[in-house]
Amino acid sequence: MNHFTTIFRKEFTDTIRDRRTLFVMVIVPLVLVPLLLFVVTKLQSSSMKKAEEKIIRVGLVTNGNAHGLVQLLTDARGLRITENIPADSAESFIKRDSLDAVIVVAPDFDAEIGRMHAGAISLFYKSSEDYDMVKRRLSAVLEGFEKSLTTARFKKLDLDESIVSSIRVEEHDVASAKERFGKTVGGMVPYFFVIFCFMGAMYPAIDLAAGEKERGTMETLLTAPVSRFQILLGKFAVVVLTGILSAAVSMLGIYVAILQVKEIPPELLAMIMGILDVQTIVLVLSLLLPLTVFFAAFLLSLSIFAKSYKEAQSLISPLTFVVILPMMVGLMPGIELDPVTALIPVLNVSLATKEIIAGTIKPLLLAEVYISLVALASVSLWGCAKWFEREETIFRGA
Amino acid sequence: MITVEHLTKTFKVSRQQRREMGPAFAGTSIDAVRDVSFTCTPGRVFTLLGPNGAGKTTTLRLIATMLKPTSGTITVGGVDVVKDPVEARKRMGFLTGNTGLYDRLTPDEIVKFYADLHGLDASAYKHRRDEIYTRLGIHEFAGRRIGKLSSGMKQKVSIARTIIHDPEVVVFDEATAALDVITSRSIIQLIKDCRTQGKTVIFSTHRMGEVSLLSDDLCIIHRGALIFNGSYKDFQNQMQTPSVEDEFVRLVEAA
Repeated sequence: MNHFTTIFRKEFTDTIRDRRTLFVMVIVPLVLVPLLLFVVTKLQSSSMKKAEEKIIRVGLVTNGNAHGLVQLLTDARGLRITENIPADSAESFIKRDSLDAVIVVAPDFDAEIGRMHAGAISLFYKSSEDYDMVKRRLSAVLEGFEKSLTTARFKKLDLDESIVSSIRVEEHDVASAKERFGKTVGGMVPYFFVIFCFMGAMYPAIDLAAGEKERGTMETLLTAPVSRFQILLGKFAVVVLTGILSAAVSMLGIYVAILQVKEIPPELLAMIMGILDVQTIVLVLSLLLPLTVFFAAFLLSLSIFAKSYKEAQSLISPLTFVVILPMMVGLMPGIELDPVTALIPVLNVSLATKEIIAGTIKPLLLAEVYISLVALASVSLWGCAKWFEREETIFRGA
Repeated sequence: MITVEHLTKTFKVSRQQRREMGPAFAGTSIDAVRDVSFTCTPGRVFTLLGPNGAGKTTTLRLIATMLKPTSGTITVGGVDVVKDPVEARKRMGFLTGNTGLYDRLTPDEIVKFYADLHGLDASAYKHRRDEIYTRLGIHEFAGRRIGKLSSGMKQKVSIARTIIHDPEVVVFDEATAALDVITSRSIIQLIKDCRTQGKTVIFSTHRMGEVSLLSDDLCIIHRGALIFNGSYKDFQNQMQTPSVEDEFVRLVEAA
C-alpha cells in the first residue's frame, strides 16, 4: 500500500470518528436542514391559513353613502363591521388594535357617482401584519363594489363593457418551465451546497493540521519516512472528500425536505424531479470538485499556520461570510454569468449552477469557469504544499 | 550511528518575539544551535543534557529531519539527513514526552499505521507487533480508543509506535519529562533494552537521576553551544563538585 493511501485511510478514519465533523457533515444537512425547511414551511402555511380565516374587524364610515358597499361588506365572510365610528379616529383605532381596518366613504361619494365621476373611499390598514391579508381581503370586496358600479354605469349608458379594452395582449412566454425555475429558484441550490461544502471541509481542515500540531501528533508524523507532500496530500484528500460529501448530503437533505413538504404543488414537484437528471447532477458536481480543492487548500494553509485548534477556528470561521457574500451576489437580479463573472471564485459556481439547472449554460462560459477554478485550485494546492514545507509555519510558536 | 558535525541552526526572530525578548535583544535572528559536533555510537546511550531553551529539542529535531540545518552535517546510519531525509527516517524512531497519539484511533490502528509507513509487510508486522505487545502488555487494551486509555497505557503505545520498525537509531526528546515515576520507568527500561540490542540511543533530559542511571556518553548544551562532550566516566572524573547536579550547575554558570 502506498503512503498516500495509508495516510488517507488513517486521516479519514480519524475524521469520521470526530463528532464535530460528523455533526456538520451529516446531521446538519441531512436532519436539521430538512427539519428546518419542513417546520418553516408548515408554520408559514398554517399562519397563512389562519390569516385567511381570521375575522377582520372593520370600522365603516359611510356618511350616508355607498349602500351597496355596506351590503357587500355585511354579506362578505369573515368580516365584523362596526359602523359610524369617528372618521378622524381611524388611524388610532388600528394602532390601538381595536380594529383591523377602517373604510371611510367620502361625504360626496354618491353625488360623484351620480355625476359619473370617481367616488373617494379611504382604506386604513396595517400592512405589517398577517401577510397584508386585511388589505387583500378588503380590496377584493372594494373591487367587487367598483365592478358593480361600473356595470351599472355601462348599463345606464347602454354600452358594451368590452369597449374599454382597445388592445388584447396575448402573451407567449418561450422560456421553458425548467428555465424559469432554474433562473429563479436555481440560484438557491448552490447557496446550500457551497456553504455546506465549505463547512464540511472546515472542521477536518482545522483538526488535521492545527489539531495535530496542538496534540503533538504532527511532530511524530513528520518523523515517518514519508515526504511532507505525501502527508499533506493524504490530509488534503480527506478535507476534499468531506467537503464533497457534505455538499452531496446537503443536496440529499433538500431532496428529502422537498418530498416531505406536502404544500408544494404537484406540477412544481414534478418539475423539480425532472431537473434532477444525471447530466445536471454530474455537471454541478464537476464544478464543485475544483471549488472544493480550492477550499481545502486554503483552509489547510490557514490551519497549518495556526498554533492551535482555537486559533485556526478564529482564523477560519469568519471566512464563512466571505463565501456567503458572492453567493448572495449570485442571487441578485441582473447578475449573469459572463466572461468577467466566470472568473470570480464561488460567484462563478453559483451563476453557472443556475444556468445549468435552467438548461441555458453556454459551453464557452462553462469552459471558462472550469479553467479558472482548476487554475485557482492548482495554485492554492501548490501554495499549501510550499507552506507545509516551511519550518517557520509548521513549528510556529513551538 | 549518529554523526553531527559543526551543526548550526539559526532562526529568524519575528517582531512579536523581539518584543517578548525585551530591549536587550537587538538582532533579527538567533542561533538555537551553534557549531555543535558529536557522535553517538551503537550500543551506547548518548545523553544530551541542558537547561530549558538550551537547544536540546532543536538538535534532536535536526537529527530527526524535522528541521534543516543552517550549516553543518548530520548522518544517521551513514545517511545524510539533508540529502536523503526519508531514508534517514527509516532508520530512526522518535519518542517525545508528549505521547503524540490520535485519541480517536486504537493502539492497533496507530501501530499498524506507522508499520505501513515504514513499509513492514503483513507477516513482519504481525511478528513484531506481537513481540512488542507481549513485552509491554498492550494486548489487553489494543482495541480500545486512545482517548479512553491512562497515560501509562498511552506511553506504552507510543513506545510500540516508535520501535515497530525495529529502528537502528532511537531518539528520545525529554521522553520522561511529563510522566509519573511508574510510566517513566517503562521509558528507562526501553532505553536500556535498546542499548542491549546494540541500537544507537540519544536522549535529552534535564533530570539528573536519569543522566547517572543511563548515560554512556554525555553532552551538555547551553545557549546552543556544547560546554561538555565526552564519556560519562570522563565527566565523573573531572567533577569539581560532589554531585552531578552541582557539577552541571557549575558548568552552566561558568559558560
